[in-house]
Amino acid sequence: MLINSELCIGCEKCNPYCPVGAIYTDASEKVSKIDLTECVECGSCLRQANCPVDAIYQQELVWPRTIRSIMSDPLTITEESGIAGRGTEEMKTNDVTGRFRNGYVGVGIEMGRPILGAYMSDVEKVTKAVAAYGVVFEPCNPLTTLMSDQTSGKFQNELLGEKVLSTIIEFTVPINRISGIIKILKDVSKQIDTVFSLGFISKLDSDEMFPLNHILDEFGINYAPNGKTNVGLGRPLFKEKGELV
Amino acid sequence: MTHTLHRLGNSESLRHDIVFTYMPSNNINHVGSAPKLRKFLEICRDLGAIKIGDTRKGNEYVQGSLENMLNNIEDRAVVEAVFDNEIKAINALKAIKEADLGLSLVVSGLFEQTRECCRKAGLNMHTVNQSLGIWGRTDKLPEKRGILELNTMCGHGMVSVSFIEYAVKKIKTGKWTPEKAAENLFKCCVCGIVNTTRAVEILKELSEEKG
Ligand code: SF4
Ligand code: SF4
Repeated sequence: MLINSELCIGCEKCNPYCPVGAIYTDASEKVSKIDLTECVECGSCLRQANCPVDAIYQQELVWPRTIRSIMSDPLTITEESGIAGRGTEEMKTNDVTGRFRNGYVGVGIEMGRPILGAYMSDVEKVTKAVAAYGVVFEPCNPLTTLMSDQTSGKFQNELLGEKVLSTIIEFTVPINRISGIIKILKDVSKQIDTVFSLGFISKLDSDEMFPLNHILDEFGINYAPNGKTNVGLGRPLFKEKGELV
Repeated sequence: MTHTLHRLGNSESLRHDIVFTYMPSNNINHVGSAPKLRKFLEICRDLGAIKIGDTRKGNEYVQGSLENMLNNIEDRAVVEAVFDNEIKAINALKAIKEADLGLSLVVSGLFEQTRECCRKAGLNMHTVNQSLGIWGRTDKLPEKRGILELNTMCGHGMVSVSFIEYAVKKIKTGKWTPEKAAENLFKCCVCGIVNTTRAVEILKELSEEKG
């Protein structure tokens, strides 16, 4: 995103909307400017600030900068998933897709969330760490398609300096491998200069309980009292082998 | 997209924060889904949702009006409704079940409350997405819990820390009411899932704090 200095009157209306603090006031010129290293091309300033002189404009984005917009602007529709945003349908449609089966856990590592954003070099530290444990990344996820090697979790070098507001590393593992994933994440979380929000997806067991709680307790991981529940209204309902419903 | 997953807050506050997400699945039931998505939003609106939104095309402000938003829904959209009241959410769940539109519904909120809502509406919990918190450089995050709670109400992080601080300043100086500030935060969340009732309470607390 850019601000036309010829037009800007320095009213600072746009400054607070930026989620990564990329808009600053140039004291000598008395205009607002955008630090393009920090700007994640989320579109918020353009949408929300209602600039009185229309000085904010979207420059043409060229590769690899385009990934900032794909991962940061909620209204960008990505080719891989076909939906707006940076993730996939994940558990939201699991009642009809059967993507997450009994005995498996979906893992979603949302890099940069909340607030800080993430450089792709930090994202790669995490993808490489879990790839070394043999995970298979979700093919529909836009981040997966950016990898130059999905078995090692490596991205093209030209991407590593790009910053995004957040991006989700997604994969599914059998329940008996989740302890290994937790250990890896504990370790790699100390090597990155940002945060990630972690989510696990699972079908509920026969008494409607989350089957992972004892594992999380074992690792002393606090899990939130709230989260998302698919309530099985989609049709046709996916049936696993042996399921009666 | 994890979207409504990582909303922070204490249980008392989260009790008034129930979000429905309704969507088709690509190549399974997306063809002809637009009228069903619209019907879902109309049911929720009529039964007391405080906000409804469309992730694909943007909230009522992005699209100019609520009517535009309803008219512009496309197949493959992901739509949302926010409730601040459990009874209203249960009534909406019953009506959605009854309408039998056939798309996937996700309820976000306290799990024990979701369990109870489902039981009363005759639904079963099928798949759960559990938040395991924030890992890594948490020392770089704002210290004030209220700021994190407001920021995480928008799953895409569009409610910026600086705008929350700006809104708090406006309340403190009497230029905005907490209600107006909450509505302005809602505008930033293009999917339309900020819970303005909860936001008002958190903004009031933040504006009463010194400093
Ligand atoms: S809102 Fe427009 S005029 Fe005001 S500081 Fe921003 S770019 Fe400049
Ligand atoms: S596009 Fe987003 S990140 Fe870039 S300056 Fe505008 S608000 Fe900030």
